[in-house]
Amino acid sequence: MKIKLTSLMVDDQARALAFYTDVLGFTKKHNLPVGEHRWITVVSPDGHADVELSLEPNVNPAAKTFQAAMLAQGIPLAAFEVGDLAAEHARLTARGVAFTRAPTAMGPVVIAIFADTCGNLIQLYQPT
Amino acid sequence: MGVLIEAGELQRLCRASALLRDDAASAATIAEVARAVRMSPFHFTRRFAAVFGTTPHQARIAARLERAQAMLARGASVTEVCFASGWASLGSFSGLFTRRIGEPPSSYRRRAMVQVAWAPPFAGCLGAMAYLPASSFREA
Repeated sequence: MKIKLTSLMVDDQARALAFYTDVLGFTKKHNLPVGEHRWITVVSPDGHADVELSLEPNVNPAAKTFQAAMLAQGIPLAAFEVGDLAAEHARLTARGVAFTRAPTAMGPVVIAIFADTCGNLIQLYQPT
Repeated sequence: MGVLIEAGELQRLCRASALLRDDAASAATIAEVARAVRMSPFHFTRRFAAVFGTTPHQARIAARLERAQAMLARGASVTEVCFASGWASLGSFSGLFTRRIGEPPSSYRRRAMVQVAWAPPFAGCLGAMAYLPASSFREA
Protein backbone atom coordinates (compact mmCIF):
# COMPACT_ATOMS: atom_id res chain seq x y z
CA MET A 1 0.00 0.00 0.00
CA LYS A 2 1.60 3.28 -1.08
CA ILE A 3 0.77 6.89 -0.26
CA LYS A 4 0.94 8.26 -3.81
CA LEU A 5 -2.13 10.47 -3.86
CA THR A 6 -3.52 12.89 -1.35
CA SER A 7 -6.28 15.43 -1.90
CA LEU A 8 -7.58 18.85 -0.94
CA MET A 9 -11.08 20.20 -1.59
CA VAL A 10 -11.03 23.53 -3.42
CA ASP A 11 -13.94 25.83 -4.12
CA ASP A 12 -12.69 26.80 -7.59
CA GLN A 13 -10.55 24.34 -9.56
CA ALA A 14 -9.26 26.88 -12.11
CA ARG A 15 -8.20 29.31 -9.38
CA ALA A 16 -6.67 26.45 -7.39
CA LEU A 17 -4.55 25.24 -10.33
CA ALA A 18 -3.29 28.78 -10.94
CA PHE A 19 -2.50 29.37 -7.25
CA TYR A 20 -0.84 26.00 -6.62
CA THR A 21 1.35 26.28 -9.75
CA ASP A 22 2.00 30.01 -10.38
CA VAL A 23 2.20 31.07 -6.72
CA LEU A 24 3.18 27.98 -4.71
CA GLY A 25 5.43 26.54 -7.44
CA PHE A 26 3.97 23.03 -7.81
CA THR A 27 3.86 21.48 -11.30
CA LYS A 28 0.63 20.39 -12.96
CA LYS A 29 0.58 16.63 -13.60
CA HIS A 30 -3.02 15.94 -14.69
CA ASN A 31 -5.83 18.24 -15.79
CA LEU A 32 -8.53 16.00 -17.31
CA PRO A 33 -12.26 16.62 -17.78
CA VAL A 34 -14.58 14.55 -15.58
CA GLY A 35 -18.21 15.50 -16.19
CA GLU A 36 -18.69 19.16 -15.24
CA HIS A 37 -15.46 19.16 -13.24
CA ARG A 38 -11.82 18.25 -13.74
CA TRP A 39 -9.31 15.78 -12.29
CA ILE A 40 -6.42 18.06 -11.44
CA THR A 41 -3.25 16.89 -9.73
CA VAL A 42 0.02 18.66 -9.01
CA VAL A 43 3.44 17.40 -7.96
CA SER A 44 6.32 19.11 -6.20
CA PRO A 45 9.48 19.77 -8.24
CA ASP A 46 11.34 19.56 -4.90
CA GLY A 47 9.83 16.28 -3.78
CA HIS A 48 9.15 12.77 -5.03
CA ALA A 49 7.91 12.94 -8.64
CA ASP A 50 5.21 10.31 -8.13
CA VAL A 51 3.52 11.81 -5.05
CA GLU A 52 0.49 13.76 -6.27
CA LEU A 53 -1.86 16.26 -4.67
CA SER A 54 -5.37 16.22 -6.14
CA LEU A 55 -7.34 19.50 -6.14
CA GLU A 56 -10.91 18.25 -5.81
CA PRO A 57 -14.06 20.22 -6.66
CA ASN A 58 -15.92 20.95 -3.42
CA VAL A 59 -19.51 20.24 -4.48
CA ASN A 60 -20.69 18.21 -1.50
CA PRO A 61 -22.70 20.48 0.86
CA ALA A 62 -21.32 18.67 3.92
CA ALA A 63 -17.76 19.18 2.66
CA LYS A 64 -18.44 22.89 2.04
CA THR A 65 -19.70 23.21 5.63
CA PHE A 66 -16.61 21.42 6.96
CA GLN A 67 -14.22 23.51 4.83
CA ALA A 68 -15.85 26.80 5.88
CA ALA A 69 -15.76 25.81 9.56
CA MET A 70 -12.07 24.89 9.46
CA LEU A 71 -11.25 28.17 7.72
CA ALA A 72 -13.20 30.26 10.24
CA GLN A 73 -11.45 28.45 13.11
CA GLY A 74 -8.04 29.06 11.57
CA ILE A 75 -7.31 25.34 11.14
CA PRO A 76 -5.07 24.40 8.19
CA LEU A 77 -6.10 21.40 6.09
CA ALA A 78 -2.67 20.54 4.68
CA ALA A 79 0.96 21.20 5.59
CA PHE A 80 3.94 21.45 3.24
CA GLU A 81 7.56 21.21 4.37
CA VAL A 82 9.99 23.93 3.25
CA GLY A 83 13.74 24.29 3.60
CA ASP A 84 13.73 28.03 4.39
CA LEU A 85 10.46 29.30 5.86
CA ALA A 86 11.65 32.90 6.19
CA ALA A 87 12.47 33.02 2.47
CA GLU A 88 9.17 31.35 1.48
CA HIS A 89 7.20 33.72 3.73
CA ALA A 90 8.94 36.72 2.16
CA ARG A 91 8.42 35.40 -1.37
CA LEU A 92 4.72 34.62 -0.85
CA THR A 93 4.07 37.89 0.99
CA ALA A 94 5.56 39.77 -1.97
CA ARG A 95 3.11 37.85 -4.19
CA GLY A 96 0.18 39.14 -2.13
CA VAL A 97 -0.58 35.93 -0.23
CA ALA A 98 -2.58 36.43 3.01
CA PHE A 99 -1.03 34.83 6.08
CA THR A 100 -3.06 34.13 9.21
CA ARG A 101 0.09 33.26 11.17
CA ALA A 102 3.52 34.75 10.54
CA PRO A 103 6.54 32.44 11.01
CA THR A 104 6.37 31.18 14.60
CA ALA A 105 8.63 28.75 16.43
CA MET A 106 6.65 25.80 17.77
CA GLY A 107 8.69 23.02 19.34
CA PRO A 108 10.80 21.24 16.69
CA VAL A 109 9.48 23.33 13.80
CA VAL A 110 8.88 26.89 12.67
CA ILE A 111 5.43 27.25 11.10
CA ALA A 112 3.40 29.80 9.15
CA ILE A 113 -0.19 29.58 7.87
CA PHE A 114 -1.69 31.18 4.76
CA ALA A 115 -4.95 31.17 2.77
CA ASP A 116 -4.87 29.32 -0.57
CA THR A 117 -7.67 31.52 -2.06
CA CYS A 118 -9.75 28.34 -2.59
CA GLY A 119 -11.27 27.92 0.88
CA ASN A 120 -8.34 26.39 2.74
CA LEU A 121 -5.65 27.46 5.16
CA ILE A 122 -2.31 25.78 4.45
CA GLN A 123 0.52 25.36 6.94
CA LEU A 124 4.16 25.66 5.94
CA TYR A 125 6.71 24.15 8.30
CA GLN A 126 10.47 24.03 8.50
CA PRO A 127 12.13 21.52 10.84
CA THR A 128 14.74 23.34 12.92
CA MET B 1 2.17 43.00 -0.77
CA GLY B 2 0.68 40.24 1.36
CA VAL B 3 -1.37 40.80 4.46
CA LEU B 4 -1.47 39.29 7.95
CA ILE B 5 -5.01 38.41 9.01
CA GLU B 6 -5.65 38.21 12.76
CA ALA B 7 -8.03 35.54 14.10
CA GLY B 8 -10.89 37.95 14.79
CA GLU B 9 -10.62 39.47 11.34
CA LEU B 10 -10.56 36.02 9.71
CA GLN B 11 -13.82 35.19 11.49
CA ARG B 12 -15.42 38.44 10.28
CA LEU B 13 -14.30 37.74 6.70
CA CYS B 14 -15.68 34.19 6.92
CA ARG B 15 -18.98 35.56 8.25
CA ALA B 16 -19.10 37.98 5.32
CA SER B 17 -18.37 35.13 2.91
CA ALA B 18 -21.29 33.17 4.40
CA LEU B 19 -23.57 36.24 4.12
CA LEU B 20 -22.63 36.77 0.48
CA ARG B 21 -23.21 33.10 -0.27
CA ASP B 22 -26.33 32.33 1.81
CA ASP B 23 -28.07 35.58 0.95
CA ALA B 24 -26.77 35.82 -2.60
CA ALA B 25 -30.05 37.25 -3.95
CA SER B 26 -29.86 40.11 -1.44
CA ALA B 27 -29.80 43.67 -2.73
CA ALA B 28 -27.47 44.79 0.09
CA THR B 29 -24.46 46.70 -1.20
CA ILE B 30 -20.95 45.45 -0.55
CA ALA B 31 -20.45 48.48 1.70
CA GLU B 32 -23.44 47.32 3.77
CA VAL B 33 -21.97 43.80 4.02
CA ALA B 34 -18.66 45.33 5.16
CA ARG B 35 -20.45 47.35 7.85
CA ALA B 36 -22.37 44.24 8.95
CA VAL B 37 -19.02 42.63 9.83
CA ARG B 38 -17.60 45.87 11.25
CA MET B 39 -15.02 46.59 8.57
CA SER B 40 -14.49 49.63 6.37
CA PRO B 41 -15.55 48.92 2.77
CA PHE B 42 -12.07 49.51 1.31
CA HIS B 43 -10.30 47.41 3.93
CA PHE B 44 -12.98 44.72 3.65
CA THR B 45 -12.70 44.35 -0.15
CA ARG B 46 -8.91 44.15 -0.05
CA ARG B 47 -8.69 41.65 2.82
CA PHE B 48 -11.55 39.52 1.43
CA ALA B 49 -9.79 39.27 -1.94
CA ALA B 50 -6.51 38.30 -0.27
CA VAL B 51 -8.16 35.40 1.60
CA PHE B 52 -10.76 34.22 -0.91
CA GLY B 53 -9.02 35.03 -4.20
CA THR B 54 -11.97 37.05 -5.50
CA THR B 55 -13.71 40.31 -4.61
CA PRO B 56 -16.86 40.25 -2.43
CA HIS B 57 -18.91 41.37 -5.44
CA GLN B 58 -17.60 38.54 -7.64
CA ALA B 59 -18.06 36.02 -4.80
CA ARG B 60 -21.74 37.00 -4.60
CA ILE B 61 -22.14 36.69 -8.39
CA ALA B 62 -20.51 33.24 -8.32
CA ALA B 63 -22.92 32.17 -5.54
CA ARG B 64 -25.89 33.49 -7.53
CA LEU B 65 -24.78 31.57 -10.61
CA GLU B 66 -24.33 28.33 -8.63
CA ARG B 67 -27.82 28.74 -7.18
CA ALA B 68 -29.17 29.46 -10.66
CA GLN B 69 -27.52 26.32 -12.06
CA ALA B 70 -29.03 24.19 -9.28
CA MET B 71 -32.52 25.64 -9.83
CA LEU B 72 -32.31 25.17 -13.61
CA ALA B 73 -31.18 21.55 -13.14
CA ARG B 74 -34.29 20.94 -11.04
CA GLY B 75 -36.50 22.27 -13.84
CA ALA B 76 -37.28 25.84 -12.74
CA SER B 77 -37.94 28.22 -15.63
CA VAL B 78 -35.26 30.68 -16.70
CA THR B 79 -37.50 33.61 -15.72
CA GLU B 80 -38.19 32.18 -12.27
CA VAL B 81 -34.50 31.51 -11.70
CA CYS B 82 -33.49 35.00 -12.88
CA PHE B 83 -35.65 36.87 -10.40
CA ALA B 84 -35.20 34.40 -7.52
CA SER B 85 -31.42 34.72 -7.85
CA GLY B 86 -31.46 38.51 -7.52
CA TRP B 87 -31.05 39.73 -11.10
CA ALA B 88 -33.06 42.76 -12.17
CA SER B 89 -33.53 41.70 -15.79
CA LEU B 90 -33.67 38.57 -17.92
CA GLY B 91 -31.20 40.13 -20.37
CA SER B 92 -28.51 40.81 -17.79
CA PHE B 93 -28.97 37.34 -16.24
CA SER B 94 -28.82 35.49 -19.57
CA GLY B 95 -25.82 37.49 -20.77
CA LEU B 96 -23.80 36.93 -17.61
CA PHE B 97 -24.81 33.25 -17.36
CA THR B 98 -23.76 32.59 -20.96
CA ARG B 99 -20.42 34.38 -20.53
CA ARG B 100 -19.52 32.60 -17.28
CA ILE B 101 -21.00 29.13 -17.77
CA GLY B 102 -20.41 28.90 -21.54
CA GLU B 103 -23.97 28.32 -22.71
CA PRO B 104 -27.34 30.11 -22.37
CA PRO B 105 -29.46 29.25 -19.30
CA SER B 106 -32.16 27.62 -21.46
CA SER B 107 -29.72 25.19 -23.06
CA TYR B 108 -27.96 24.54 -19.71
CA ARG B 109 -31.38 23.72 -18.22
CA ARG B 110 -32.17 21.18 -20.95
CA ARG B 111 -28.80 19.47 -20.58
CA ALA B 112 -28.68 19.58 -16.77
CA MET B 113 -32.17 18.12 -16.34
CA VAL B 114 -31.17 15.09 -18.42
CA GLN B 115 -27.89 14.64 -16.53
CA VAL B 116 -29.59 14.74 -13.13
CA ALA B 117 -31.83 11.93 -14.34
CA TRP B 118 -29.13 9.46 -15.39
CA ALA B 119 -25.71 10.56 -14.13
CA PRO B 120 -24.13 8.52 -11.36
CA PRO B 121 -23.76 10.47 -8.10
CA PHE B 122 -20.50 12.39 -8.00
CA ALA B 123 -19.80 14.56 -5.02
CA GLY B 124 -16.28 15.69 -5.83
CA CYS B 125 -14.75 12.74 -4.07
CA LEU B 126 -11.90 10.48 -5.08
CA GLY B 127 -14.44 8.32 -6.97
CA ALA B 128 -13.80 10.60 -9.95
CA MET B 129 -10.73 8.53 -10.75
CA ALA B 130 -13.09 5.87 -12.11
CA TYR B 131 -13.64 8.12 -15.15
CA LEU B 132 -9.98 8.63 -16.03
CA PRO B 133 -8.00 6.91 -18.81
CA ALA B 134 -5.76 4.05 -17.65
CA SER B 135 -2.69 5.98 -18.78
CA SER B 136 -3.19 8.38 -15.85
CA PHE B 137 -2.04 5.67 -13.49
CA ARG B 138 0.95 4.28 -15.35
CA GLU B 139 4.41 5.12 -14.05
CA ALA B 140 5.98 7.92 -16.10
